[in-house]
Amino acid sequence: MAMGRQQRQLGGMNRNQNAVSFRNNNGGNGGKTMLGPISNTIILMVLACLLGLLYLTQVTKTNAYGYVINDLQQQQSQLKADHEDLAVASARLQSLDRVQNSEVAKNMTAVAPSGSVKP
Amino acid sequence: MVYPIASRNGNSVDVDPAQANRRVQAWHLALMLVLAVFVARAFYVQVIRHDYYRSVALEDQLKQYEVPAARGIISAYDGKQTVPIVLNQKLYTVYADPSFIKDPDKAADSIAKAIGGKASDYRKLMDDKQRRYVVLAKKVDKTAKDKLLAYKYPGIGAQEHPYRTYPQGSLAGQILGFVNDEGQGTYGIEQSLHDRLAGKPGELKAITDAQGVPLAANGSNIESDPVAGQDVTLTLDIGIQKQVEQLLEKGIKADNAESGSAVVMDLNNGAIKAMANYPNYDPGKYYEVEDAGVFNNSAVTHPIEIGSIMKTLTTAAALDQGVIKPDTSYYDPSFYVVDKFRITNIEEDGGAGNRNIAQLLNLSLNTGAVWELMQMGGGQINQKARSAWYDYMANRYMFGKETGIEQTGENPGLVPDPADNGAAIDLTYANTAFGQAMLATPLQTAGAMAAVLNGGTYYKPQLIAATSDKAGKMVPRAPQIIKQGVVSKAVSDAMVPLMQYVVDNHDIKPAFDQSRYVVGGKTGTAQIAKPDGGYYENEFNGTYLGFVGGDKPQYVIAVFVNKPKVGRSQYAGTAAAQPIFADIGHMLIKNSYVIPKSK
Repeated sequence: MAMGRQQRQLGGMNRNQNAVSFRNNNGGNGGKTMLGPISNTIILMVLACLLGLLYLTQVTKTNAYGYVINDLQQQQSQLKADHEDLAVASARLQSLDRVQNSEVAKNMTAVAPSGSVKP
Repeated sequence: MVYPIASRNGNSVDVDPAQANRRVQAWHLALMLVLAVFVARAFYVQVIRHDYYRSVALEDQLKQYEVPAARGIISAYDGKQTVPIVLNQKLYTVYADPSFIKDPDKAADSIAKAIGGKASDYRKLMDDKQRRYVVLAKKVDKTAKDKLLAYKYPGIGAQEHPYRTYPQGSLAGQILGFVNDEGQGTYGIEQSLHDRLAGKPGELKAITDAQGVPLAANGSNIESDPVAGQDVTLTLDIGIQKQVEQLLEKGIKADNAESGSAVVMDLNNGAIKAMANYPNYDPGKYYEVEDAGVFNNSAVTHPIEIGSIMKTLTTAAALDQGVIKPDTSYYDPSFYVVDKFRITNIEEDGGAGNRNIAQLLNLSLNTGAVWELMQMGGGQINQKARSAWYDYMANRYMFGKETGIEQTGENPGLVPDPADNGAAIDLTYANTAFGQAMLATPLQTAGAMAAVLNGGTYYKPQLIAATSDKAGKMVPRAPQIIKQGVVSKAVSDAMVPLMQYVVDNHDIKPAFDQSRYVVGGKTGTAQIAKPDGGYYENEFNGTYLGFVGGDKPQYVIAVFVNKPKVGRSQYAGTAAAQPIFADIGHMLIKNSYVIPKSK
């Protein structure tokens, strides 16, 4: 029983029992355990640290998306550059000079229109 | 009250709760003091010195980038479809820091293998160990750059740069212009439409990590996307443009001329289908050009006295005023004396006699053009004649004014003021009737002739067929009417056979088949004014102004050849400009650009 143990403690300690116990029954707390001001402060600090840690994890996680975004943007940029290169290559392959100098063109014969072309 | 508590040795010790409380309170106070110091310091740093520390932190962490906007693509017609003629491409500048390169000979060989060029040149560039940055090559493509960087030479790198690329080479170089190293459009379309083509760069302002990667968690990051430049489709047809350039070059070289220009315009809407100059240049290699004058599009920047091609416009003006008719005959005395100066014709054609309007044009009679001017004044050159003729030149044919075409450096030319200035103004105006004492560009003459032949509507000559909207969709640009009623429809109809007559009676080989096509024109041989007054005796410009079409005229062709070296008995217009016109006309017909007559 809690009351019995308390009475024993108050009445006298057993030998070789190096415990220090302090109970204040004058507060009218009906026997409930109370935390002291240091404990409160430490708990608050721990909570603050936990909150800080939580904030840091979230910020770090969000910032990590920055790298993903950056990678995607680089990919997009590279794809655009590739597209530009292909468009240039395509235009060069179809350029008039290239067509004019092609083997196919060299084997062609110039002709004048032989009949009326009606729109 | 005192409470007994156990001591270390097992004996109970009496503890005073009040004393215990004081100890706890003392520790608490000490802790609070320490915390207060931290809070105070934090307050000082974060609140009082906020601005200072913020700026110090941002100096390292905040990066601001300008995100370049993609410059608009320029396309042109190839038949009915469009093809790009100016594109963007990212190319690389290869550089070296010679102080890092331990074996320059080996490095130079590798560079030459990867990107081309001479190893000895690269070796020479890397000799100077004092220089920390040497440009080895510009405009290196990605494949070559990757090949070079694969060697992993310390001190050799590549930097990306956006460039304009011209897959058609020198085609329409002077129309297009170029973009210089500062990204500024220079000459031609690139300069005149620079603001539209350039777009608006975006901005990225963000807290970054040490490597410059933006951190996404920063709520105050600013990112605005670049707005791409407008794409532009030109009215040019690359097939026509290419061949006109080749034919012009061939003609100019054949006559050892100094330079020349040719314009092909759709006379029913003012669209330029080809505009060529010789000499020209490749805008992709603009830095190799030695004479900056070559950058100019002479067809719009270089007005000259146009010579006898003006007689077609003088005739149209006289017809429109009703002072002559297409079948009018008159007596040509072979010379007129105006302001004490004698105006004559060329020797072989200029004798006195009865002439009609078709002969006036075919024989290119200066006196005939003067006679037409006199009819505008009631039989003499006077204020009435000058004012009437000035009205046609300046307000209907739009000479002396910029056409507003999308090109830089357009020259408005010159039309003399008709008011009597006491300096032989009648003689000046008599000269303008046959294309002297005034200045016009090939484009202006083409625009005027188009208005005369299409029923009297002056369309603004234009090079832009369409531009892209915000969604990237190409929006056609409607032809812009500058003036209607330039001449009446009847005059327009009358001018066609008169100009056909000239073509049919000139030695054009091969002859045009007028049964299937309608082809007309007029030569011009213009004297060249000396800077200090008077004209050169042996230097002329040759010009030609004509048209080709089917049921009705379709294209106006203007050809200017500057200072051709033709024989003594030849005329620059007939010997130098006319063959180029004929070549272009035949080319348009042979390539089915001209719709033949339906009957």
